[in-house]
Amino acid sequence: MNIGQLVIDGLVAGAMYAIMASGLSLVWGTVGILNFAHGEFYMIGGYALYFTLVELNANPLLAVIAAVLVTFGIGAFVEMGVLRWLLNRREWELPTLVATLGLSVFLQNLALRSFGATDKSVPYLFHSVYHVGRVTIASQRVAIVAVAVIAFALLWGAMRFTRFGIGLRATAQDRDAATLMGIDVKKIYLLAFAISAALAALAATMLSPIFSINPWMGARPLLKAIVVVVLGGMGSIEGAIIGGFGLGIIESIGVALVSSEWEDVIAFGLLILTLWLKPSGLFGTREA
Amino acid sequence: MKLRPVLGATIGGAIVLAFLPLACHNQYLMHVAVIAFIFAALTASWNLVGGYGGMFTFGHQAFFGLGAYTAALLAINLGWSPYAGIFAGGMFATIAGIIIGVPVLRLRGAPYISIATLAFAEVVRIIADNLTKLTHGETGLVGIPTLPSFALPGIGQVTFSLADSRPYYYVSLMALVAVLVIVGLLLSTRVGLALGAIRDSPEAAESLGVALTTYKVLIFLTSSFIAGCIGGLYAFVVSVLTPSTVLSVEIMVQIIAMALIGGLGTFFGPVLGALILTVGLELLRAFSDWQLVIYGALLVVVVIALPGGLISLPKRITEIAGRIVSAPKSRPAADSVAISNRFEQEKP
Repeated sequence: MNIGQLVIDGLVAGAMYAIMASGLSLVWGTVGILNFAHGEFYMIGGYALYFTLVELNANPLLAVIAAVLVTFGIGAFVEMGVLRWLLNRREWELPTLVATLGLSVFLQNLALRSFGATDKSVPYLFHSVYHVGRVTIASQRVAIVAVAVIAFALLWGAMRFTRFGIGLRATAQDRDAATLMGIDVKKIYLLAFAISAALAALAATMLSPIFSINPWMGARPLLKAIVVVVLGGMGSIEGAIIGGFGLGIIESIGVALVSSEWEDVIAFGLLILTLWLKPSGLFGTREA
Repeated sequence: MKLRPVLGATIGGAIVLAFLPLACHNQYLMHVAVIAFIFAALTASWNLVGGYGGMFTFGHQAFFGLGAYTAALLAINLGWSPYAGIFAGGMFATIAGIIIGVPVLRLRGAPYISIATLAFAEVVRIIADNLTKLTHGETGLVGIPTLPSFALPGIGQVTFSLADSRPYYYVSLMALVAVLVIVGLLLSTRVGLALGAIRDSPEAAESLGVALTTYKVLIFLTSSFIAGCIGGLYAFVVSVLTPSTVLSVEIMVQIIAMALIGGLGTFFGPVLGALILTVGLELLRAFSDWQLVIYGALLVVVVIALPGGLISLPKRITEIAGRIVSAPKSRPAADSVAISNRFEQEKP
C-alpha cells in the first residue's frame, strides 16, 4: 500500500470537505441553521461553471469568479426570500430545517427538469502532472489545495479583523446583545448565508473537472460536510478545516483497507460515534 | 387528547372510504389509494415522533425499509406467513430503533437528532445495497408471495393478486385505521400529556418529574414498530423491493412533506397530507415529472405561509375573516393573540 499517495489523495479530498464544511459551519454557528440546501449551492456553482466555461467559452479564471459570484447572489436571494421570514418566530429551529430541506428538494429537481439527468463535464483547469518519488499528483489537485488554503486564509482574516467578522462572531455569541451594540443582525445573516453559498460554489468549481456535473452532485459533499462539522464542532472554522482534512485522510486510507462501497459508512460511523461520545465535537464549545 | 371524538372520526372516515371501491372500478386508482393509505399510516407513525414528540428524526425510512426486507426475506427464504412476517418486520425495526434511538435521543438540538438518524438510515441503505447475496441490491428482491387468500362469511373467497387491487385496498385501509387507533390510544393516556409537556418546555417538564428520555424512547420505539409493520405490508403490496425504493431519503422527504403540509403534530393532519399529496399529484399526471419540484416548493411555502398545515386552514380563514370584520375596533395585543392561539392548538 502506498501510504504517501493515500495521504495526498486524502488531503485533496479533505481540502474540499473543509471548504464545504466551513461554509456550512458559518451558517450553522451564527444563524443556527443546518442548511440542507448547502449541497444545492455546490450544484449551482458546478452548473454555473459549466455554462460560463463550456457554453460561453470564457477564460477559466473568469468562469470560476462568475460561478462564485452567481452563487453568492442566489444565496443572498434565498436568505431574503425564505429564511428571513422564519427567523423571527419563537419556534424557528424546525421550520428553518424544513424550509432548507424543501429548498434542497426543489432546487435539485428543478435542475433535473431544466438541465436533464445526463452528466456534464468540464475540462481540467490545469493540465500538468507531477511525480514526486512514488507519488503522482495532477496539478489540478495541487490547485485544489492551494485554492482551499487561500480561501481559509481569507475567511480567517475576515472573521478576525473585519467589521463583518467581528459582528458575525458577536451575533453568534448573543444575537440580542449584538443588536443592542448596533450590529445590523439582518445584514450579518444575509452576508453569512451568501458567503457560505459562495464557498460551496468555490468547492464545486475546483472539483467539477474531476467529478461530473449533475443535479445530485451536491448530496454527497453535503453529507460529508455535515460529518465534518459535527466532527470539528459546530461554528468552529478551525474545527471544519482540521475535521475536513482528517476525514479526507481517514476515508482515503479506510477505502484502501476495505472497499469503496463502504466509504460513506466510514464517514457516517464517525458521525454517529462523535455524537455519541463527544456531542460538542472536537473543537466546539456548545452542547449538542 | 380526548379519545372518543378522534376514534369516532377515524372509524367514520374509514366507513365512508370502505364504500369507495363499490363506486370506483378503476384498478389504477385503487392502487393509488393503497399507496396513499400506506403512506398515511407511515406518516402518522412519524408524526408521533416528529410532531408530538418534537424530535425531528430523519431516518424513518430505515424502519420502513427494514420491516419490508425482513417480512419479504422471511416469506421467501423461510416460508413464513406474510402476517407473521409483517409482525417480525415490526419487531426487527424496533430492535434497530433501540440501537439508534437510545444514544441519539439524548441529544437536544434538532439538527443533531436529524443528522444522526439520517446517518443511521444511510448506513442501513448502503448495507442493504451491498449485501447483494441477501437483498439482490438494486436488481431487486423478487419472488415475494402475495398475502394468503381466505374466506370471508357473506363475501366468499378473498384472493390477493396483482390484477385486483380491491383486497389490498381494504387491508391497507384497515392497517391505517389500526395505526390511528394505536396512536390515539397512546396519546389519550399519560403519555400524551407528558409529550405535550415535553414539547412545550423540556426543562419544566423534567423538573416536574416527567421522565424525558423514557417517554421519548417509548414513542420512538412505538413509531419504529409501526413503520416496520407498514413496511412489511408494503413489501407484499408492491412485491418487488430495491434499496432505492424503500430505504432512500426520498421516502423521508415524502413523509416530512405530507406531515408538514397536512399539519405537523395534529392527529389527522398527516393523514390528510398523505391522501392529498398522493392522490392529488396522481390526478395531475401531466405534472408527474415535476412531483418533487412541487413537493419542495410546497414545503417552503407551507412553512412560511401556513405553519399549521392544511388542517389549520379553516381556522386561519375564520381568523383572517374575523380580523377584517373587526378591523376598525381595537384588536387584542399581538402577544395575547399568539398565546390564545397556542392554547387553542393544545386542544385536540
